[in-house]
Amino acid sequence: MTAELIRLVRVGRTFRSGDIEVRALRDADLEVTRGEYLSIVGPSGSGKSTLLNIIALLDRHTSGTYRFEGTDVTELSEGARTGLRAHRIGFVFQSFHLLAHRTVTENVVMSMLYNSVPPRERRTRARAALDRVGLDHRAGFRPGRLSGGERQRVAIARAIATRPAILICDEPTGNLDSASTESVLELFDDLRSDGLTLLVVTHDNAVSARAERIVRMHDGRLSEPIAV
Amino acid sequence: MAVVRLRARFRARDLFAEALAGLFTRPGRSLLTAMGAVLGIASLVATLGIAETAGAQIVTAFDELAATSVVVTNDRGFFGTSQTQVALPWDSEERVSRLNGVVAAGTMADVQLGGRLTSAVPVNDPLGLTEFQMPMIAASPGLYAAARGELSTGRWFDQGHSERADRVVVLGTGVAQRLNVTRVDQQPVVFVGDASFAVLGILEDVQRQPELLNALIIPEGTAREMYDLESPTTVQIDTEIGAASLISAQAPVAVSPDDPDAVQVQAPLEPDEVRADVEEDVNALFLMLGGVSLLVGAIGIANVTLVSVLERIGEIGLRRALGAGRRHIAYQFLLESTGVGLFGGVIGAGTGVLVVVTVSALRTWTPVMDPRIALAAPVLGALVGLLAGLYPALRASRMAPVDSLRAGATG
Repeated sequence: MTAELIRLVRVGRTFRSGDIEVRALRDADLEVTRGEYLSIVGPSGSGKSTLLNIIALLDRHTSGTYRFEGTDVTELSEGARTGLRAHRIGFVFQSFHLLAHRTVTENVVMSMLYNSVPPRERRTRARAALDRVGLDHRAGFRPGRLSGGERQRVAIARAIATRPAILICDEPTGNLDSASTESVLELFDDLRSDGLTLLVVTHDNAVSARAERIVRMHDGRLSEPIAV
Repeated sequence: MAVVRLRARFRARDLFAEALAGLFTRPGRSLLTAMGAVLGIASLVATLGIAETAGAQIVTAFDELAATSVVVTNDRGFFGTSQTQVALPWDSEERVSRLNGVVAAGTMADVQLGGRLTSAVPVNDPLGLTEFQMPMIAASPGLYAAARGELSTGRWFDQGHSERADRVVVLGTGVAQRLNVTRVDQQPVVFVGDASFAVLGILEDVQRQPELLNALIIPEGTAREMYDLESPTTVQIDTEIGAASLISAQAPVAVSPDDPDAVQVQAPLEPDEVRADVEEDVNALFLMLGGVSLLVGAIGIANVTLVSVLERIGEIGLRRALGAGRRHIAYQFLLESTGVGLFGGVIGAGTGVLVVVTVSALRTWTPVMDPRIALAAPVLGALVGLLAGLYPALRASRMAPVDSLRAGATG
């Protein structure tokens, strides 16, 4: 397995709405190696989310090439991209996106519905993931009874239960108070030391400071890297 | 790792579990949504059931009388077509009785009395009217059974009376009353003109040929001898249930082999036709009603499913991000709406059957229902749900995961 996990070469994304063209991302070059803890920072409207959606295969770029684990995903069919998402990418969202009517365990199990984890293994792996984020004692709770930090940790457990190649986090602490933020960041550190690749998009400098490498975005352009 | 091996999948079991979980997330709403389908299916099932029950009820009533009665006459009809009137043979009863499916047969004819009056006593009573003009009917021995007669006293004449031209008479109950004859054990006699007839019995009731109740009934042989009766005019046939149409086709040939078309046949509508007619009448209206309520139900399901799709944009986005394909999302919502429809169909079928039973109980009918209707109803409900879910499911599957995730912020 090569060290290179993600490689963007002159990737661009242009949105069209009638006659108006918005170039949300211009000629982005980025390389992410396995086991890296990378943070992308920038003010709102700088194109962070656009870049993230492209990296996460949720959106298609309009120019350049993108290789994920050595595969050129530019021309990949929607089905194949969906498959990659299901197996190799874990997501953490700002607003958690937990289903309110399911228990914590059921929410974690959900990430394994669409990939190759055999049904019998799901509960075990969900318990292990919850154990990993320190929430095994909350397994039977509904998300409504958890604190914000706990909910985000459940979301992280859901993301890592599929054993993805990379964990992509979109403003993971955006809805959290400082104490909860700290607990989530500590968890990121732990996961990083386990060898998980982390990509965190944030506008919070305190959050990006924990990463090994910071990439700044401004007006749809990436500027790298100021060595930390 | 090869990309090919990383295709997203969604096991059928998981699909069912997720769809079911989706339904039970908001049980109240799912129930109300299903109500539309319940009403539609229930009215359809009840309509079909009641129509069938009513149809069977009518046929049961018809079976006893009309549906087993065939009457052959040598009448030329109201306008008297150009054909010559044929004489029915004297042995019509025997000929017809040979046919398979005939329970009983008998012939009859009006006897012209030429103004002769009838009385019970041979003396003139100056105080009261004792002589009457009364119709006389010549009948064959089998007519009693064929007309389903009932004697209050005495007996009906037999073949021997007819062959010997015995002067015997059976009084219709109306005639007996006017002649003041109530018993036959002292061998009363009635006079027609100068001729005396021994009263054999009194006919209390008949289910066919009611004119018998108001007539003097004498054996055909006697009528032939005394009043020069030329031939019977009517053959009354009692058939087995279901044999009426067959007999009505065969009887004319039996009694008039050289010109079967010259006789008139009165046959009942076949039970199937009666039932079909009734069911058609009831069905046309109510099936339309049921169809409309089912349509409204379908629109209701479609509407609520669409709302639920819009509400669950966040969940859809999440599922897509977790690796659900477009069709996985579509299947899930389709299955949810199908589930609602199926549930509505099951409850609706039950309700419909209950309505049929209740109506039947109130009317003291026997509920009749094709079990296939009750079994097909849930399938129809599921189908309605499936169709109703098509558009919302399509909408859900078309949502881009990025937009979905941004739009819907949950938990």
